Amino acid sequence: MDIIGPVLVSGMTTGALYALATLGLSLVWGSLGMLNMAHGTLLTLGGYAAFTAASQLGWPVPVAVLAAAAVGGLIGALIFMLVAYPLSRRNPETFETTIMIATFGVALTLENIVLRLYGGQPLGQPLTVGGSISLGRFVLPWQNLVIIIAAIALMAATALFLARTKAGRAIRATAQNPDAAKLLGVPVARVYLQVLILSGMLAGVCGVLVSSITQLSPSLGADPMLKAFIMCVVAGLGNLPGAIITSFALALVEALVQFLAGARWGFPALLAIVILVLIRRPGGLFGRVEMRRL
Amino acid sequence: MAEPIGSSCLAVNGLVTGYDARNVLTGVSLSLNSGELVTVVGPNGHGKTTLLRAISGLLPVRKGSVSLNGRAISGLPAHRVAANGVIHVPQGDLLFAGMSVLENLLMGAYLDSDQVAVARRLDEVFSLLPKLAERRTQIAASLSGGERRMVGIGRGLMMKGSVMLIDEPSLGLAPIVIEQIYDVIARLKASGRTILLVEENPARVADIADRIHLLDNGAFVWSGEPAVLLQRDELLATYLGG
Repeated sequence: MDIIGPVLVSGMTTGALYALATLGLSLVWGSLGMLNMAHGTLLTLGGYAAFTAASQLGWPVPVAVLAAAAVGGLIGALIFMLVAYPLSRRNPETFETTIMIATFGVALTLENIVLRLYGGQPLGQPLTVGGSISLGRFVLPWQNLVIIIAAIALMAATALFLARTKAGRAIRATAQNPDAAKLLGVPVARVYLQVLILSGMLAGVCGVLVSSITQLSPSLGADPMLKAFIMCVVAGLGNLPGAIITSFALALVEALVQFLAGARWGFPALLAIVILVLIRRPGGLFGRVEMRRL
Repeated sequence: MAEPIGSSCLAVNGLVTGYDARNVLTGVSLSLNSGELVTVVGPNGHGKTTLLRAISGLLPVRKGSVSLNGRAISGLPAHRVAANGVIHVPQGDLLFAGMSVLENLLMGAYLDSDQVAVARRLDEVFSLLPKLAERRTQIAASLSGGERRMVGIGRGLMMKGSVMLIDEPSLGLAPIVIEQIYDVIARLKASGRTILLVEENPARVADIADRIHLLDNGAFVWSGEPAVLLQRDELLATYLGG
């Protein structure tokens, strides 16, 4: 039985999508200590924005993808300005809890707005590529290849931005030590806003990629959000390279389990890995136990 | 014990600040003239670090005022205080642990868009602290305590500012490393820097400080020249345990 090809294609494709979804979630979590429960909804909004731009407004594909990024970034900015920032100012001690509940409320609200606007029936994402490429015994659909390349390109661009630019360095510095960053003149609130915008843009494009191999529905982002959360926990909170490696590794494991034992066993296998990792390494595979000096 | 502001570079008047409902500082006043090195000494937990945090905007000022070169800076957020020219080298390891030495230093020049000036200051820092040049690609978390302190000072020197606040640079370090750190501070003073230094042991600053303030329970209980303080055995015994 030849299982390597299908497992690799499926695992790498879902791994790329998980990694992209995880990158945005982990970026916000690591920088602000904020678990953005609306992150999945940003994927959904990106998918619908591209659908609207391409099929209803007739915009070309690149512009439709940019529209998805813009909508994700805009909603990310609004979540920061209207929800996260006021909550962090009012009661910083309870921020990590209150922001989870608040963004969960934002997610429900946005999901229902999408439901009212587009209805509950699944829609086809027009931004797809047909056909496949044969590499020996492997058959790789072009759509999967586009997803893998696009996701890797976006992750590489994000990594370059964080490593090589002044704004990226400020984001990393603020994530590691906000007080020290303030003392050097970094406007931390503005950096947090940039992080939410970046995360939203990544989520918007990720939504386009996810919907290109599934279908558009108001709950489109729920599954990637759940998987991204699992990747973040297994990798260690806020560890970006770890989150990406974990995403590809667990997606390959999930694909293998689904292929060998059936599709319904993929998610339980992921949960089993989470439990094992948390028992053996509570800080995650790439994380470290954090000590807070009071 | 208020001091006249006059033409002072940094002036703190009647400063009251604290945490939660408790005031840690209950009315502190001091001033620094350009090129001076003034030291605040005192036992642990009596407000030395709190004083620096309030000046640099990390803690809100509840009463009183802080001004820099005649401009009020109390009430400004920390990043704007830094932009006004206050360089705070904090106690302990407020480094960006996951970033390299070079990246930590470059963060010190965050507010400076003149890349030529940044490169020149980086060269100056490397010539003052040559160890940092050797360690430039090393991740800050992997440095020794003394090296981390050097990075903190180097990062401060990368900033453009008129006053340096240095918080307990000797804390937790071996005597030989403390000597090296104080040698650097003495050279900074000799180069004309204006420095407010917090230290626990007055003997360490006797040679370099122009004036010294003894802080106890949130207020200055004595101010004067370091040499005089070192002769006041009763003050040393009462407030500094020896």
